[in-house]
Amino acid sequence: METFGSQSLREAFGEGLVDLGNRYDDLRVLDAGTKNSTMSEGFQQSFPSRFYTVGINEPGMIGIATGLAMTGKRVVACDMSIFLQHAHAHMLTAARQKKGLHLVIAASHTGVAVGPDGGSAHDVTDIARMRLIPDFKVISPWDPAHVKRILEVVMEEPGYYYIRLNRPKVPIFLKTPVSFEIGKAYRLKSGSQITIVASGDKVWTALQVAEELGEGIADVIGIASFEPFDRETIVASAARTGRVVTIEDHLSQGGLYEAVAGVLAEEYPTRMKKLAVPRQFTTSGEPDELARLYEIDKTALLETCKRFIG
Amino acid sequence: MELIYRTKSGHLDTSLALVEVWLGLVYSDFFRCDPKNGEWVDRDRIFLSEGHACPIQYMVNAELGYYPKEELFATNRRPDSNFQGHTVRNLKYGFENSNGSLGIGLWQAYGAALELKSKVFCIVGDGEMQEPSSLGLLAAPHNLKPCGNFILIVNNNGLAQDASVDIGPLSIAGKAWGWHVIEADGHDWKSVDDAYQQAVSIIDKSKMIIFKTVKGKGGDPAKAGKLGSHGKPPGNETELAAYIKGLESERK
Repeated sequence: METFGSQSLREAFGEGLVDLGNRYDDLRVLDAGTKNSTMSEGFQQSFPSRFYTVGINEPGMIGIATGLAMTGKRVVACDMSIFLQHAHAHMLTAARQKKGLHLVIAASHTGVAVGPDGGSAHDVTDIARMRLIPDFKVISPWDPAHVKRILEVVMEEPGYYYIRLNRPKVPIFLKTPVSFEIGKAYRLKSGSQITIVASGDKVWTALQVAEELGEGIADVIGIASFEPFDRETIVASAARTGRVVTIEDHLSQGGLYEAVAGVLAEEYPTRMKKLAVPRQFTTSGEPDELARLYEIDKTALLETCKRFIG
Repeated sequence: MELIYRTKSGHLDTSLALVEVWLGLVYSDFFRCDPKNGEWVDRDRIFLSEGHACPIQYMVNAELGYYPKEELFATNRRPDSNFQGHTVRNLKYGFENSNGSLGIGLWQAYGAALELKSKVFCIVGDGEMQEPSSLGLLAAPHNLKPCGNFILIVNNNGLAQDASVDIGPLSIAGKAWGWHVIEADGHDWKSVDDAYQQAVSIIDKSKMIIFKTVKGKGGDPAKAGKLGSHGKPPGNETELAAYIKGLESERK
């Protein structure tokens, strides 16, 4: 499969933000002490008067971001994901302001892909937490090109958006122009034996495994939009294959597995397997090493699919 | 009093503590709002961070003409009403922010003030200032920047839901972090107005007014300033009569 180099999702985010800054004069960006990790510092360098260095104060940052949005501005608040846990009540209260506000929250450093900084830096529950807040659209991009397109889309309409980024370099596999619609799942490969549903950078893992399984075996469904969630595409694929595997760099609790299982339990009960981070405190290690350890890598997915197909 | 008695729930005691503070603000010579056009861009803003005080907000905005009082009395705390148990943002009705847990609205207000030219007032409770997130706002003028159009109003009635509250060195801490701090009697019209006039005349600092108030002031004198009435409406006609009698004796 063709790739177009590599870049981290957060670097793509930083570049994308600068593009948006050129397009939208009313865009304001905030960071709570992590601008050289989230890569929002590029925006600050280009548009210093439209950037807020809030300091290490996540609740305050989300509160201020909400207040800025209340004055009619487009607002992007950035942070390393794990720290946003401090600000959960503030995010909930942001969305409570109802219609008209335009607020994007972008979290870098999600999943065990954070790597050697260890378990206290791995945020493997962010999707679950954000799915709990009404009105938030929850989006997990697959590659750097996806990030840039998603940033353009979330600027178009007011609303509350959460974008999940991560730390390491990942392959760019989406061809530009990238098509992306909120609320839509994408069927990236077609097959009749098994459905692989993947989110975030695990979509690339799923595509590689599908190729190894051979032509026409695996249906690969890429999920970027968790909320709203595309039920029809999931059900249609399960109906074609009768077997569904999910893979995510997140707990299964409140994550991709439970989202898919919830739909299928209601509409088309289907046997499932899951590859997800276990509900335990995770350890330090290189991203690849951790993906292997927690069995959310290519090898684990390939073996799971083969066993499942039988 | 009648509103909360009829609704059979709501925070009368906190609302009564804020009567002069709220009316003294909206009827001051500087406050700008347009009840016929709640979204007017240049309006001054009042954020209510201690959301349980919303009954006074609902009554004052009805008085100002944002909506008919009848709608409030007919729908207070009912499903899908514009008058929820804690405020929901509704610019047409003059409600700038939806409430959440304590310690949140004041940050939103500060954020709005950073981008606005008009004045932003934010009402917090003294108990609310125990929240680390509220105390954190004290550092905002230093860590972020001072906001000359921001006025934090602290309702210092000395009582929270389950215990008395001592604001401790709030005034000293505020000054140390760069606030202009004013202390005033929240039930004396002149003192209230003087505090506001001083606050709006200073334009290079974030301002904080600590209003000394009495929880339940102007209601049943047997309950005013005492622990145990938080969020408790008058339970029957006799209790309501005691509140109204208290109010009438205040007027004399």
